[in-house]
This record gives sequence, C-alpha cells and structure tokens, in this order.
Amino acid sequence: MGFFNYTFDWSVLWRHPYGGLLINGILTTLHLSILAWMIAVWLGIAIGVFRVSPFGLARFTGSAYVQIFRNTPFLVQLFFWYFAAPLLLPKPAQEWLYDNVPNYSYWAGVIALGTYTASRVAEQFRSGLLSISRDQYRAAYSTGLTTFQAYRYVIVPYAFRIIIPAFTTEFLTCFKNSALTMTIGVMEITHTAYYIDSFTWHGLETTTAASLVYLCIALCVVLFMSFIEKRIYIPGMIAREQ
Amino acid sequence: MDLNVISINFKFMIGGLFLTFELALMTMGGGLLIGIILAMARLSLRPWLYYPATVYIHFFRGLPLILVIFWIYFLSPVITGKSLEAFPAAVISFIVFESAYFAEIIRSGVQSISRGQTMAAHASGLTAYQTARYVVLPQALRNMVPSLVTQSVIIFQDTSLAYVIGLREFLRRVNLVDAREARSVELYLFAGLVYFAICSAGSLASHRIEKQRERSYH
Amino acid sequence: MIKIKGLSLWYNKGFKALDNVTETIETGRTVVICGPSGSGKSSLLRCINGLEHFQEGEIFVDCLSVQDPKTDIHKLRSDIGMVFQHFELYPHMTAMQNITLAPIRVRQKPKREAEENAMELLKRVEIPEQALKYPEELSGGQKQRVAIARALAMEPKIMLFDEPTSALDPEMIKEVLEVMISLSRGGMTMIVVTHEMGFAREVADEIIFMSNGRIIEKGTNRSFFDHPKSERTRQFLSRILI
Repeated sequence: MGFFNYTFDWSVLWRHPYGGLLINGILTTLHLSILAWMIAVWLGIAIGVFRVSPFGLARFTGSAYVQIFRNTPFLVQLFFWYFAAPLLLPKPAQEWLYDNVPNYSYWAGVIALGTYTASRVAEQFRSGLLSISRDQYRAAYSTGLTTFQAYRYVIVPYAFRIIIPAFTTEFLTCFKNSALTMTIGVMEITHTAYYIDSFTWHGLETTTAASLVYLCIALCVVLFMSFIEKRIYIPGMIAREQ
Repeated sequence: MDLNVISINFKFMIGGLFLTFELALMTMGGGLLIGIILAMARLSLRPWLYYPATVYIHFFRGLPLILVIFWIYFLSPVITGKSLEAFPAAVISFIVFESAYFAEIIRSGVQSISRGQTMAAHASGLTAYQTARYVVLPQALRNMVPSLVTQSVIIFQDTSLAYVIGLREFLRRVNLVDAREARSVELYLFAGLVYFAICSAGSLASHRIEKQRERSYH
Repeated sequence: MIKIKGLSLWYNKGFKALDNVTETIETGRTVVICGPSGSGKSSLLRCINGLEHFQEGEIFVDCLSVQDPKTDIHKLRSDIGMVFQHFELYPHMTAMQNITLAPIRVRQKPKREAEENAMELLKRVEIPEQALKYPEELSGGQKQRVAIARALAMEPKIMLFDEPTSALDPEMIKEVLEVMISLSRGGMTMIVVTHEMGFAREVADEIIFMSNGRIIEKGTNRSFFDHPKSERTRQFLSRILI
C-alpha cells in the first residue's frame, strides 16, 4: 500500500536547525496563549460584570461586545487586527508601528486572541453568576451583610468554584486558537511544523510532534484542574457536567 | 472609507459563500452521522466500543482544527499513495473534527434523560431498543436541538479555515481582493458583517427554539 | 406467588443495600413495606422485576427465576406492573399514548384495541377526560393515576408501588390511595413501599419493617401496629405516627 512510499525520518524533530525551530515554536505558542489569556480574563470578567449590571448602558455594551465577537469567525477578527486596524490609526502612529514593531503579527495575534477569548470568558462568568439563586443573596443580606460583604464572603467564593471548570475549558480553547495566528505569519508550533515540511518533505513527523504538544498541554491543564478541584471541593456540589 | 471596493467585488466575494455553505452542510451531515455512532459507542458498556470512541473524542477535542487539516493533508499521501485535493481534504478534516463535538452533545443529551424514564419503560417490558427508540431518543433529541444549532454556527465559522489549504471560500476571496486593493478596513468589516448576519440568524433561531420549548414545558 | 431467598445486594462503593432477605408473598395479598430512608425497601422492589441486579440469593416469581439469565426478563417484566415515586410518565406523549405504548410494542396489540382498553383504565382511575393531555398539563395526583393505569394496561399479575404518594401534595394523596385500595380489594397481589400508615391499616395483609437492608419485623395489620415486637420498630412507629 502507499505506506511504503513514505520513509519516516524522525530525526527531523531534533536535527539542527529544525529542533531549535520546533522549540521556538512551542515557546511562542505558550507565551502567546498566556498573554492573550491574561487579557481575556480581566477583560472578560469586566464585560461579564457589565452584562449583569443594573445599568442599561453597561448591559448593552456588554451584550454588543459578546454578540459581535462570538458571531464572527476568529480568523476574520485576526485579519482585521493585522491588516485593517493599523490603517485606522493616525498616520504618525502607523509609521511608528511599522518602524518599531517588526513582529506586529505576534502582537496582532495576542490582541485578537485576547479580545476573542474575552467574549467567551464573559459568557462563562455571566452564567456562573446567574446560576446563583436570588435567595442566596437574600439570605446573605438578611443576616445584615452589606452588598460588598455579601459578594466578598458569599457570592464570589461560590461563583468561583462554579466557574473554574469552564475557565479551564476556555483556556484550552484559547491555546488551540493560537494555532490560527499562523495565517498572519506567527511562527508558533503549527506553523513551524508546516514550515519544516516545506524544507524536508517530512510534514507527517512534524505535525505528529505538534499534535503531541497540544495533547500534552491539554493533559497537563486537565490534571492541574483536577488538582485544584479537589482542593476546593465542597461535598455535594455539582462542579461540572459530565 | 471607500465602499466602492465592496460593491465592485461583491459578486466575486459573495460567490465564495456557496462554497462556504457547501462545506458547512456536508460537515454538519457527516459530523452528525459519525457523532451519533461515537456517542452510542461511548454510552455502550462494551469496552471495545467505549475506549476507542473515548480516545477519538479526547484526541480531536484536544487539537486545533487547523492542525487536523494539515495532519490529514500530510497523512493521506502516506496511506493512499497520492495526495488529496483541497476540497475533499477540507471536508474530511472538518467531518472528522466536528464529529467529536457532536458526539459529546449527543451523549450528554441522552444522559440528561433521567434514569427513572428508562426504568419505567423497562418495567413495562420494553426492550433496550424499544426504550431507546420510543422513550429516550425522542426526548433527548428535543433537548439537544439548541446545542446542535450552536455547534452548526461554529461549523459555519470554522469553514473559514479552509483558507489555509487554498479553497476559495468566502474569506479567502475577501483576502484576495484585499491583496489587490489594500482596502483592508472596509473589506474585513464587510466580511465580519456577512458572517455576523448569518451567524446571528442561526443563534436567534436557536434561542427561539429554546424559548418555545421552555414555554411548553412550563 | 413471590419467593425471595437469601437476597443480598451491594452497590459499587461497597455499600450493602440488602442483607440476606428472605420472604414469601402469597398471591392476592397486599404487603406494605416501611422503614427509614436507605433501608433497602426500594432496592428490594427493583430486584423483584429485575431492574436491579443482585449479587446473592434467589427470587422466584410464580416459579420463574429472576436471576437466571435464561429467563425472558422482558416477558417477566410485562407481567409485573410498577409505579414510581416521581411518576415517570413519558413527557413527550399524551396520557393515552403513555398507556398504550407497551401493549402495542410489547404485546403487539392492535392500536384500536389498546386505546379502548386505555379508556377503560382511565375511567377506572376516574380521569377519562385527561386522555389526550400531556403530563405537564396534569396535576400530581392525576399523573400518578395515569401511571397506575399505564402499569395496569399490561394486565399484570403483580403490582409494585415505590413510594407512590411521597411526591404528592397532601390534598392529592387521597385520590391515589383510593385507587390503590380498590385494586387491593379486587384481589391484586401488591407490594407497596410507603409511609402512609392509614393505607396500611386499611388494606395491608402483612406489614414488613426494614432497616439497614434487613427485615426487622413483620406482622399482620393488627399485631404490627398494636404490638410491635422489636425496639427499632417501636422507635420508627413512634416517629411517624403522631
């Protein structure tokens, strides 16, 4: 069968310069995802709070943000940030950008991934908050706690436990979406795998390696989350769906 | 803001939507079919069905779609001796990938039906097959519809990834026009708007369906 | 006639739900099983029609072995009717369809005949006008009566009731108990798990008290309530009877 037409060459994974490229790719994936995630968490929580705020304007802004970012493909957003956004800056800022930021594709990737993931984080945060019944709030207030105290001691710790599993899933999604930045030239792991193929014709080995990297990281994150869940476990609480 | 660039190239770009829809529909069909098989395997008690299905699902949910596309693109010459064309490669990758997500939706839909329902059906003497067919599946399918619609919206957006293997679906066409005209702001806003319109329609439909269900189940 | 010998049941976590239970229930008798939560009453019921798989012991229903893999368990179940605490009516079917599903699919009855029988049964439980309603449109008492009609539709020789009134509002308990009383007086073999001692006093031929998976005491109507033999039974009775 066709299997014998292909000679595997696994040394492509560590041979110079390809090994170095792969390591760089992995690191790029990691720090790009983490940076984007940090933006996503803070922005997402802010938007989540907007969405449940009593102020109509805040709610509208929050909803609009989520709707826009969820109903357009990530790739379109990425292209927007990379191709279109600089053009919106005033001329001097544009020039500064092109001159001083040589790896703009990386930063466009971070911004795009961060803002996109933020919309998903906002949704998870909001549904976590909403799942706490009104009676919980009433119970807290009825014992004389102020609004701030109620949130600090009752609502937020509880919501936190509900939200953690969903946040972990979102982090993994963020991590996987980082692969898409290859379309604007970022040399993260998937791009590296593809790139090495164009020199060596051994794309199968490299993409297998890339797959293993993603799976390993996914595994680590899941294990880490299990560990956290056990530490913060409250008996009888349904912390996650099957 | 030069909106002419959109109107001049409108026909060319929108033409890409045909391919987009084609990809999306084939993926939904194939993905659902394989998803159902995988879900049943995961619900089964036989280890030789359960473990392979579980591995498959975790494997494809842990990888980015773009990597799966490349993997299949590189893998096929190894197995079949000749390289795959872009469209079949895209369809196969999409179906294989999305079926893992469909499988999870279906599985949790079926599991959400309370055990009591199964017990009541068994107590009347209905076989496992009859129970699934008349009691569990009708209810599960109704519960699943919103999630299935959401997943379909996601699939529609994911078709934009066919970009990387050169398929001339909608996004690639916008990109080609941009390469020539360099009016990125107008063009990508336009692309965003088109996707937004279609996906919002889908999400709204799913919302409607959920509201309807909630009303009838008090 | 139901013969139970040395029945023992363990759950996965090592919890022993039933411990060496032996009992015989004569045809035509009404037996009430009572006891605290977790005493194994429901498990016992579910073992009788094979819904629960037990590890030790034997159960014979009219000389048919429940534990023998060669027994046609579906045929056996179709001759035993079961009514559940949470009704478990199929929400996507009307009352009529709920009742006729099994006769049509298991006994291959023609639809017309099944529907006529269903109407007879609905008349018997006094809600013929609800035939085309969906379960969510019915009250709790009506739902349970439909559930009883559904069980009776298969013309069972034995009826099992698992806390049939525990999920009902107080004013609906009576209508369900009345149906059960008339069934009992009509000569049906019934095993009823319940806390309704009024019902027990009215029609039970025998009352069994279970605790921790064992039968602690059993007696006829009179002797059980007036002269309970064990201390545990006395304790239980003093708590549930005001």
